[in-house]
Amino acid sequence: MIGTGVKKGTAELAILSVLENGPLHGYEMARRIEEQTKGALCFSLAGLYPMLYRMEQRRWIRGSWGTSSNGRRRRCYRLTPAGRKKLSPLRDEWRELFAALRRLAKVSNA
Amino acid sequence: MPDWQQIVSGKLSGIALGPDEKSQVLEELAGHLEEDYQSLLSQGISDEGAIQRALKRVDDWQVLKQMIESARKKENPMPKRVTQFWLPAFLTLLLSMVFLAVIQMFGPNPWITPASGGRLRMTPVAVVYVSWLLLLPLVGALGAYMSRRAGGSARTVFLSIVFPILPYLAFFLIGLPVALILDDHVAHNITIPAFFVGLSAWVIFPAAALLAGGWPVHFFASRRLISSRSAGS
Repeated sequence: MIGTGVKKGTAELAILSVLENGPLHGYEMARRIEEQTKGALCFSLAGLYPMLYRMEQRRWIRGSWGTSSNGRRRRCYRLTPAGRKKLSPLRDEWRELFAALRRLAKVSNA
Repeated sequence: MPDWQQIVSGKLSGIALGPDEKSQVLEELAGHLEEDYQSLLSQGISDEGAIQRALKRVDDWQVLKQMIESARKKENPMPKRVTQFWLPAFLTLLLSMVFLAVIQMFGPNPWITPASGGRLRMTPVAVVYVSWLLLLPLVGALGAYMSRRAGGSARTVFLSIVFPILPYLAFFLIGLPVALILDDHVAHNITIPAFFVGLSAWVIFPAAALLAGGWPVHFFASRRLISSRSAGS
């Protein structure tokens, strides 16, 4: 299980990545992330919405009201061009971090 | 089915958001809890159990309230120092320079003292642009208003107001003494009274004019802020 600190850091990447495939509302987004990470990343309501609002303030995502598949009014979020631009360097940063950790682990094991 | 919007509204009562923003947040969170509740019911959990489990997804509603308030606050694109000092200061400087240039080009003529034929031959001459001095309180008021509105302290507001005279002050305190030492073309017989007359015409009078307009604005803006704070508490 991944610790809380790392989860916080990965949350932005997770949200931007999951929205890359199309707009989603909060509940769907949390479920999709949980499914795709096989439960390693779980977003509670308390963790998800403040993060979404902050990312919306930064104009990485944009929320708009619409109707969900079950006919209910839901606020759907979509990736903005700024968010799409942010995704690539964010992925590179995490790739570098994981590569560094992998190298470190190998050194430690030697 | 429970009224999720009412439940969320009760849990987040007093959240510091605008009415429209608040209703949107409540509706969105209620929608999330409702989806969660429906999903739990479909897993065969009882109605009461589903409600309890959905609500337990939030450990502390007060913390959530604070996190939402903080997340929805608009992030200021400019640092405080820029909005409280540099922006008002450079605006007052620009306006005062533009006004002075326009007056010098198009008039009215400055007041030159002493008038020709004065009794003291050696009395230093001062060129005072009275119309410029009359406009400076407006400039000072604008600087004070902008700085105070951005949350500037008394010191920041003061500096924003008097910023236009700082180049002249620097000239009299640094530029002129340095020129006297280094530049042979500058007259070395400048008398102390001449120095003070120049300082008065270009530093003291303009500073007083700027403060005459700016300081009352700062005073009233501060009083309004205090009274609105005490009304809000």
